[in-house]
Amino acid sequence: MKKNLILKNFFIYFSALIVFLIMFFPLYGLILTSIQPESIIRSRNLSFFPTEIIFTHFAEVLKPNHISNIYEGIKNSLIVSFLTSFLCIILAFPAAYSLARLNLPAKNIILGTLISIYFLPTILFVIPLFVILVSYQLDDTILSLVVPYTAFTLPFVIWILKSFIDKLPVEVEEAAKIDGCSTLQLLIHIIFPLLRPGLIAAFIFAFILSWVEFLTPLIFTNNLKISTVALGLFRSTIDIKIGQQAAAAIITLIPVTILMIFFQQYITKVVLSGSDK
Amino acid sequence: MTDLLNQPSNSQFKFSREKILAFTLILPSLILVFITYLYPAIFTFVISFAEYDIIRLKIKKFIQFKNFEFLISNYFFTSSVLRTIYFGFLICVCTTILSFLIALLLNEKFIGKAFLRVMIVLPWAVPSVVSGVLWGQMFHADTGFLNALLYQLGVISGYKIWLADPLVALHVIAIAEIWKAIPFMTLFFLSGLQSLPSEVFEAASVDGANVFQRFSNILFPLMLPIAIPLFLIQFVLAMKSFDTIFVLTRGGPGGGTTTLNYFIYQEAFETFNLGRASAAAYVLLIITLAVVLIPTISRFLIKFFWGNK
Repeated sequence: MKKNLILKNFFIYFSALIVFLIMFFPLYGLILTSIQPESIIRSRNLSFFPTEIIFTHFAEVLKPNHISNIYEGIKNSLIVSFLTSFLCIILAFPAAYSLARLNLPAKNIILGTLISIYFLPTILFVIPLFVILVSYQLDDTILSLVVPYTAFTLPFVIWILKSFIDKLPVEVEEAAKIDGCSTLQLLIHIIFPLLRPGLIAAFIFAFILSWVEFLTPLIFTNNLKISTVALGLFRSTIDIKIGQQAAAAIITLIPVTILMIFFQQYITKVVLSGSDK
Repeated sequence: MTDLLNQPSNSQFKFSREKILAFTLILPSLILVFITYLYPAIFTFVISFAEYDIIRLKIKKFIQFKNFEFLISNYFFTSSVLRTIYFGFLICVCTTILSFLIALLLNEKFIGKAFLRVMIVLPWAVPSVVSGVLWGQMFHADTGFLNALLYQLGVISGYKIWLADPLVALHVIAIAEIWKAIPFMTLFFLSGLQSLPSEVFEAASVDGANVFQRFSNILFPLMLPIAIPLFLIQFVLAMKSFDTIFVLTRGGPGGGTTTLNYFIYQEAFETFNLGRASAAAYVLLIITLAVVLIPTISRFLIKFFWGNK
């Protein structure tokens, strides 16, 4: 029995190591490339440990006239992602409450439609939106990114918030209603603070999805007046300097990674709360 | 749903007021979704039967099914449809199996589990452009780790240009997509595993079932209801993949990595043939819907013909 346990443990740690290597090695490779001189990257002496660490690639990328235009990208991506997440929460919070708690007719159909829309091919909607934006000369604006992002993310955010509201105890709301609390007051003063973990999770979801979006900005900013991080990074791939490319990729990655590590617990909670229903 | 029917009749007025309130709360979201989804979907449907003038932004003329006819007779299109379906299934099958195994691992107790979980979730947050760059570098002909590793191990005699071979390039893209898709599915499988009652396993191991029996007789049937929707969702997401293809191969070499989604992009925004692109977009939609609906419909039919068992 004991021998069995040791064998089992060995197997677990061994597979944990394999999984770690598979999932993390690509990222490690990227980090390695970003801190090594171009001559070492291009040499054929394979080394999985840095022999000479330099930060010139980052310095090059962060220069204002670099091809990826990283400052502009980060600024725009921050604005767009914040606006999108904010709008999503404002729109989704009442909608999720309505779906979770109120006597909305056909609510299952509405929720089902919203969720299935999220999985439809984006390109189907992008073509006409492009035509509309161009005909009103709204392409290449922050607005042309925020509105589609919000719409693309909204169904998902509504679903997240609804599953969080479903988990709140109904008694609190009933007590508040007996005390003469109107629905609006209830929403603002009682549900909103109780829902904080859900709101944070939803905000992060929307933020990450907007930060990583590529197809929409690629098409809607066709005159390259505004750039996002993802677009900037793509533009740097035209250049052959591999080290700088890796550095730009890491700079793009950092904000979402920090969000992910800090709020991993919330994200796990979303998944856990969603699946048991 | 049942409380809707059990509403006491004297609260009829209150009930309708609540209905109005419920609608007002959800209306802004519905309007936004309507404008950005339904209207474009109709628009795309209409111009899929037309020739669209990209300069004047007007429909030039309606040509009935010409767009569809052109597509079906176009070898490039039909091959990209088949390629897309293969690509989708490849990603689904690999992601489902790997994620399930990783979830089984994370369901065990061991030191460093929390750390490993963060590491597994991480690729999900990696923007697909970054993952394109990352895998592009991994498989790079001159500087890639793969070439260097295989060369030093003596597997290959010279450096290979991986992305120059259409079939290899397609699988490189699939690897990138699988790597990115694993985190999300693993979390769902993990939550499914954690929601299973532990008594089931205890009873089974007391009965002397070995690992494989436990897997095939208990775990597999219990996890199937979670695995099927995840599989379908993954298929739909694989149908949508664009960024990795765009960054890694741009649909090449020789159209070898052009999936249907990428084909539509090229038709719409490189050759600006919006009518044809819209028709192709509807073909993609139909494939997506078919894959999602077939299990639902077959389940309905089974229920209908063989009763509720």
